[in-house]
Amino acid sequence: MRKVAIYGKGGIGKSTTTQNTVAALAEMGKKVMVVGCDPKADSTRLLLGGLAQKSVLDTIRDEGEDIELDDIRRDGFGSCKCVESGGPEPGVGCAGRGIITSINMLEQLGAYDESEELDYAFYDVLGDVVCGGFAMPIRQGKAQEIYIVCSGEMMAMYAANNICKGIMKFAESGGVRLGGLICNSRNVDNESEMIQEFAKRLGTQMIHFVPRDNDVQRAEIRKMTVIDWNPEAPQADEYRTLDRNIDNNELFVIPKPLEIEELESLLLEYGLLEAA
Amino acid sequence: MNGHNIMTTAIENNIRLLEARKAQVQTKGSEPFNIACEKQSVAGSVSQRACVFCGSRVVLYPICDALHVIHGPIGCASYTWDIRGSVSSGPQLHRMSFSTDLQEKDVIYGGEKKLEKALLELIAHYNPKAAFVYATCIVGLIGDDMDAVCRRVSARTGIDVIPVQSEGFAGSKKDGYSAACHALDQLVGTGDTSDIKPLSINILGDFNIGGETWVIKDYYEKMGLQVVSTITGDGRVDDIRKAHGASLNVVQCSGSMKGLARMMKEKYGTPFMHVSYFGIEDMSRALYEVADHFGDKDLLKRAQDMVRDEVMRIMPELRKIRQDLEGKKAAIYTGGAFKAFSLVRSLRTLGVQTTIAGSQTGNPTDYKQLAELCDDGTIILDDTNPLELAKFIQETDTDLLIGGVKERPIAYKLGVAFCDHNHERKDCLAGFEGMLNFAREVHGSLCSPVWKFSPFRQKHKEAVGSSQTTEKPKATYIPTNVIKPGETSGGGGESKFATLTIGATEVAK
Repeated sequence: MRKVAIYGKGGIGKSTTTQNTVAALAEMGKKVMVVGCDPKADSTRLLLGGLAQKSVLDTIRDEGEDIELDDIRRDGFGSCKCVESGGPEPGVGCAGRGIITSINMLEQLGAYDESEELDYAFYDVLGDVVCGGFAMPIRQGKAQEIYIVCSGEMMAMYAANNICKGIMKFAESGGVRLGGLICNSRNVDNESEMIQEFAKRLGTQMIHFVPRDNDVQRAEIRKMTVIDWNPEAPQADEYRTLDRNIDNNELFVIPKPLEIEELESLLLEYGLLEAA
Repeated sequence: MNGHNIMTTAIENNIRLLEARKAQVQTKGSEPFNIACEKQSVAGSVSQRACVFCGSRVVLYPICDALHVIHGPIGCASYTWDIRGSVSSGPQLHRMSFSTDLQEKDVIYGGEKKLEKALLELIAHYNPKAAFVYATCIVGLIGDDMDAVCRRVSARTGIDVIPVQSEGFAGSKKDGYSAACHALDQLVGTGDTSDIKPLSINILGDFNIGGETWVIKDYYEKMGLQVVSTITGDGRVDDIRKAHGASLNVVQCSGSMKGLARMMKEKYGTPFMHVSYFGIEDMSRALYEVADHFGDKDLLKRAQDMVRDEVMRIMPELRKIRQDLEGKKAAIYTGGAFKAFSLVRSLRTLGVQTTIAGSQTGNPTDYKQLAELCDDGTIILDDTNPLELAKFIQETDTDLLIGGVKERPIAYKLGVAFCDHNHERKDCLAGFEGMLNFAREVHGSLCSPVWKFSPFRQKHKEAVGSSQTTEKPKATYIPTNVIKPGETSGGGGESKFATLTIGATEVAK
């Protein structure tokens, strides 16, 4: 089983990209589990056709520790397994601790066991790794490969660079590696070239450039992934390509985060300077 | 005995000071006095200091008609349950330990609702005058809005529900004192002061351990002063509310209540003075200085009469005790430095020399004063630890350790006498009566024949050899409440112990 964590700046399209990716993998016949690690618990709704699934933490709260795997896991598109870790409402409690508790519970209940015969487990994690709890999915024994969703926008690249710093720390202690950057296009000038160069400097690759396409939103409004809504759509092929690239990926590295000056000069070189 | 002599009987040991601790340890007279202090404890040194939460808990605990609720995991409440020997003349509510018992789910989802429910339930059941809600580490981490919960519960129940911002990790024990003072500040100034006379004081920083506040309050009342509030020993919420009506704050304990005294000076113009109630000298000085402050001849006269009577009453017994204790050596480790000053003086009254003196929370001024008070050769320690105490007790051949519950095992493991002078004790050691109790306790432990069996003492005997030792006079003071020396004769091995420097040497002969 490959364990994959998806990180990236808040609002960049992590959940949408993850679910479309999972849908494409399921279509390929892979057995996949998605674990949403965001207190908002919105990482699986496209796979579940809009069903608001009861989260692991809500289940523990309501029913105690004595729960079954089926209480917290639902089958989604293409028989993929969907889990939402959940968490407190904004402004109270500790969402980070929630993720730790929830992943521990999944392990206890055997969600990752051999008998589950999973090909992939995906973790969709909150935008900023603000504390130890949100780093849980990349600690020892959890996800081994990370893909960072980013775009050519400055803040998205800052965030990606920051996440690389986190990966570096856990790479040394736990063996997690960066598998590449997924560029979720925002139609920024020279976006593909810039992200490719950014990836190169980080020591990794741009695993795929996902163009901007309103079909993603069209599917989303119907609570579906693109592959589910319209398998013939060109955008569906983009996700299939992304999946093939992930499936065949052999480049796993400890990233070398950029100094801020270097990152800014990269932006100037590919973005603002050209535009001016 | 001078400082040089202290070291001549030293036992070699292989305990070394941590490099990072060296600046907080000094021997008086060996170098210009400049001890480092007011630092965070060195990791790994096993500091005897407590956390912020514990600091605020010990200060507010004796307010006996208030509800004390600890918002945190159960350990914080259980380890501070009934933490002081503070006694109450009325309600016993303070001796209960209430906790929200935060668990994993509460950490994730926040503990505010649980706290609110607990408060409403407890207030309905116990009908307290006020409630203190203590923040613990975990509450600081998850950011529960305790202020908002306290405001809501206060509005619903009509009593003051006061949050104490005492997150354990947010500083040292001293910061806990400050959090407690801020909490008290919310009560002070809310009561009616119309019945308060000009000759009036608040007793701050005495915690009524073994009834000490009562002893002190009685002295002041005999002088003719009105004691408006005792903060916090045998404390009452309604008295604290009107504390701002008193003309003077008399503050004992260097750390804990200075903050409140300062706030009251700023807000209400109430002047304050520092005193100590331990030992004849400091107790007398406290009464005289308070009388001087008011410039009232009658007050002073009554203070003088009282001091004379009391000293005459206790001196005969103290003299007897002193005969047995003369030449003994003591180590002192206290929370605040003020108590250390008093103990050095009290021990001197008993003919006991201080070889080691230290505190958990002293500041540079405190240590300067402590060093001036001590003899050359005395080792001064800031924020020390069990190993350092063990090292110096052995090196200085000290006979007695005065400290708290955390120091007691060090003394007993080394095989030296011990006197509990911390807040967990149950005996009154303040005032003139307290000085007598102190002397009896020190005598009882120091003159116990048990120490001669300790390996440390035997090792010491071998180290110094028989030529340097002198016979000690027979213990003459025999309190009625302990076993008479003659009844405890151990039989064999007499000659082996004959040269040991314990008061009851004769026992074994």
